[in-house]
Amino acid sequence: MSAMLTVDGLVKRFGGLMAVKDIGFSVEGGEILGLIGPNGSGKSTVMKCIMGIERPTAGSVRLEGREIAGWPPHRIARAGVGLVWQHSHPLPRQTVLEHIELALLPDSLLRVVADRHVADRARAIAARVGLERVANRLPRTLPFADLRRLELAKAIARNPKVVLVDEPFAGLTSAEVADFSELIGTFRAEGHAVLLVDHNVKSVAALVDRVFAMYLGERVAEGSAAEVMRDETVRRVYLGGAIAGTTRRSHSRVSNAPPLLEVEGVSVFYGKAQALDQVSITVREGECVSLVGLNGAGKTTLFNAISGIVPSTGLIRFTGESLRGRTAAQVARAGVVQVPESRELFGDMSVRENLDLGGQHLPRATSGRLLGELFELFPILKERQAQTARTLSGGEQQMLTIARALMMQPKLLILDEPTLGLAPVILEQLSRALGRLLETTGLTVLLGEQNVTFALPQADRVYVLEHARIVWEGSPDRFAEEAGRGLL
Amino acid sequence: MTALQILVDGFAISALYGVGAVGFTLIFGVSGVLNLSHGALMVVAAVVAWYTAASFNAGPFGGAALGIIAGLIYALATFVLIVRPIQRSRAIQNEEKEIFVLTGTLLWGLMTQQAISYLFTNNPRTVLPLVEGVVDVIGVRTPVNEIITALISWAVIGLLYIFVQRTRTGKVLLAASMNARGVTLLGFELSRIYLVTWAIYGLLAGLAGVLLGAFLGVSSDSIGQLTASAFSIVVLGGLGSVSGSLIAAYVVGYIETITAYTVAPSVRTLPVLALLVLVVYMRPQGLLGRR
Amino acid sequence: MRWLKPGIAIAVLVVLYLLPFGVSGYILGLLTVAYYYGVAAMAWDLLFGFAGEVNFGPSFLVGLGAYTAALLNHYEGAPVWLCLIAGGAMAVVGGAVLAIPALRLRGPYFGLVTLVAVLMMQNLLVLFAGFTGGEIGLDIPSILTISDRWNYWYALLFMTISGGLMFGLSQSSVGLILQASGQDATQAAALGFNVAKHKLAAFCVSALFSGLAGAMLVFYLATVSVGTVVDLAIGVQFIIAAVLGGRRTIIGGAIGSIFLIGAAEILRPIGQLSTFVVSAVALIVILFFPGGFLGVALRGRERA
Repeated sequence: MSAMLTVDGLVKRFGGLMAVKDIGFSVEGGEILGLIGPNGSGKSTVMKCIMGIERPTAGSVRLEGREIAGWPPHRIARAGVGLVWQHSHPLPRQTVLEHIELALLPDSLLRVVADRHVADRARAIAARVGLERVANRLPRTLPFADLRRLELAKAIARNPKVVLVDEPFAGLTSAEVADFSELIGTFRAEGHAVLLVDHNVKSVAALVDRVFAMYLGERVAEGSAAEVMRDETVRRVYLGGAIAGTTRRSHSRVSNAPPLLEVEGVSVFYGKAQALDQVSITVREGECVSLVGLNGAGKTTLFNAISGIVPSTGLIRFTGESLRGRTAAQVARAGVVQVPESRELFGDMSVRENLDLGGQHLPRATSGRLLGELFELFPILKERQAQTARTLSGGEQQMLTIARALMMQPKLLILDEPTLGLAPVILEQLSRALGRLLETTGLTVLLGEQNVTFALPQADRVYVLEHARIVWEGSPDRFAEEAGRGLL
Repeated sequence: MTALQILVDGFAISALYGVGAVGFTLIFGVSGVLNLSHGALMVVAAVVAWYTAASFNAGPFGGAALGIIAGLIYALATFVLIVRPIQRSRAIQNEEKEIFVLTGTLLWGLMTQQAISYLFTNNPRTVLPLVEGVVDVIGVRTPVNEIITALISWAVIGLLYIFVQRTRTGKVLLAASMNARGVTLLGFELSRIYLVTWAIYGLLAGLAGVLLGAFLGVSSDSIGQLTASAFSIVVLGGLGSVSGSLIAAYVVGYIETITAYTVAPSVRTLPVLALLVLVVYMRPQGLLGRR
Repeated sequence: MRWLKPGIAIAVLVVLYLLPFGVSGYILGLLTVAYYYGVAAMAWDLLFGFAGEVNFGPSFLVGLGAYTAALLNHYEGAPVWLCLIAGGAMAVVGGAVLAIPALRLRGPYFGLVTLVAVLMMQNLLVLFAGFTGGEIGLDIPSILTISDRWNYWYALLFMTISGGLMFGLSQSSVGLILQASGQDATQAAALGFNVAKHKLAAFCVSALFSGLAGAMLVFYLATVSVGTVVDLAIGVQFIIAAVLGGRRTIIGGAIGSIFLIGAAEILRPIGQLSTFVVSAVALIVILFFPGGFLGVALRGRERA
């Protein structure tokens, strides 16, 4: 007997980039498999290859033994694969019920009038997912959780053999998570094969039968949720290895310095999805504060709220003054400089040009001196001055991004996941550079990381962000016993 | 004889197309806007140059200067009155903004066309040449003005290159066309960068309009064709690529000149349009564009 | 409440059908043109509002229908009904040709192709002016009828039927699938719908009615020229009509079209400037009321 869904030797290449390398797994009917990996691991690409949205470069995807790789998505959908999208784009003028009816329609130009039973079935499905109260409302009047329910309802309407669910719990409250888990559980009970695609094991651990973990396009582990969470490679991929109990920083910096950045009760919504829930943190002058959290916890959102890139509610004060109403550029000029996870380098410009742009607000003499200091800190950048930024390695690009931000003489440097996608050797270099920077300049730093091994040694204080909330705060040496275990 | 004529004429017309198209590409690269009132901008500049030179004794140079200033004002008006309100509108969904900008600038161009046609009729106007006289270039009797046109065009393109490569503002502009968010994070106001870009665009396209007016003459009826030519050039060159636009300007300029000489001046844009459709079907990233 | 909207529609139609007994032939003539334009605007809205494809060259499809009918009638003396069928068919072929890039290209590129299609057609018609009549035009020996009233009724009937069919289509299952495809083609495909097939169908339907409108118009005007059916400005007028009336409503196109022709008539004293004023009004509506007349009306009701 063959499995409901079998993926074998799947490869996807985008130009020169291998996004998925030789991935293989199978899901039985009545089973839930978690497909897990941090940002950029290729898990979403695998999902899209199964659905036919991306065409696999090589390998096979079989549905009940039938080869479907390379089919167009609508054929794959008709063959029995359904996708529950993370972001829905509902139609503005159709009610919830009409959206479900849409999913029940045949792919035909000749059936102008829908069958009578379609409306009845749509109503039944709405009741099943808990949408009957709002069945006749327009999507834009619905809360986020109901929009997610609507996506689920559409998948149920298609009655697929294999259900792919993209980030099932993103943006939901814990009560809603329980509801959704139950709904997804019913897919399993009815004998569907379910694939949950998510950033981390923890959020789906209670629901899945097995987990398949990916990193940089490759398989890193497979097994029960508990096994995968204990797996050494997985821990290294997410947390950077064993969590050390002690800090390497010789001196712990004073904690009674005046606060530089105060964030109080800040919330952020993306449309209707809550990305940040009443977050409060403080960074004192001269401190290095680490914000630890897995992908999707809300670190980038918090940093973007501070930088004025996304609108937020709550209080954000810098050197005692509110940052509300200032543009992102004004915030940056005030001294809050962000090194974004996506780096945002000027790819076709040289290393030197990138750095010069950072130093443009300063008098030439100052920026020249600063440039000298930075070249000392990152010698490799001096060597590569004339090289185009796009041609640098990942680690070099990261150093360039940090150096470019330092050219602005920040009062507060925000580093968003500087370790993302970097090899361990590079990590060590970066860690040393950061350590030297903190010691020599007394710079105030807010560091967001998933990689605990990188985040802890430098930190004076640590916050843990989970599911849009701050769940723990303390010193790095208490981290391992109090917060470290529950992190993954 | 005709071949040489085409060679010389094509060179000049291509150079001035290049000036206009570089501006067009620049605003696309920096702010993602495709301006369908481009032809109107050029014609406004040319008509102002013609009118002030002829009726106010501004002379060819004064007229040209006023024409370019008119181009600048018109470009800023397009941005402030049409493009920016659409980009900032809350009533328009983000996915629809591109379409609204296209429709809005098309309407704006149409309004301009009507206004010019009402005020000055749609008869072709020829701007006073900056320099009179005819010289011999590789055996072709060429108006001095044509040579001046090519020289000015290339000088301006050179100046633009120096501006972008050597000045601080130019560098920021270039950086913004590569990565708008990166520029914001470094403390530069995008809204200011947009204004500067539109101003430069206005000056460039205004100059192109004035030169074109002195070279071939313009009328309110040429607005559609001029927009189409600029559009063809930037798409053939790959949207947002400045060097691609310059090369494409020559391809388009020569094809048009050849058509005008060998078939009829009234259909000079036809083969280019056909080429454009072909390219868009086969290679949407442009003839010279990177993927 | 449920009968309110159809009730209003029927009442308005009854009044329109009875209009020839109350108003002058001159006004009937204006409305006749408005109705043909209205069909073109509605056909445009079917493509843009429902299939999500912005077509900057509706006059390409209208022009194809018009010139096919005109040339057949002028040179071959073909009967009117045959010319109409041929015009519609030719426009469908043109619509299918336009659909090919639409299915492959995104955003500005497709808009560009449609724009180019109009300009090329304009150029070709002028280039072969000896055959096509070019800017001056070609006279058409046959006409539908010489009666103002009957011309008006034909046009109104044509608009009622095409508007009804397109509105029905937009509200049907196929319309729902089309909207889903227009909103997010990937998600629609993942729901099991062949997006290409549905969009192609939308192009063909839109082209059919545009072409028929062009062909009918030719036999009403008894002439065909670049300026009356192909010019970019004419196409823009269809777009303005649909946007003014309200996108994604189909009937908005007819309402906008009647408004535009009416406004141009009221503004006739200011001559050439009338087009300027109409464009400006359209621009203001786009900037401040992107939902158009019906959008404002419907939103007002929802709030109440």
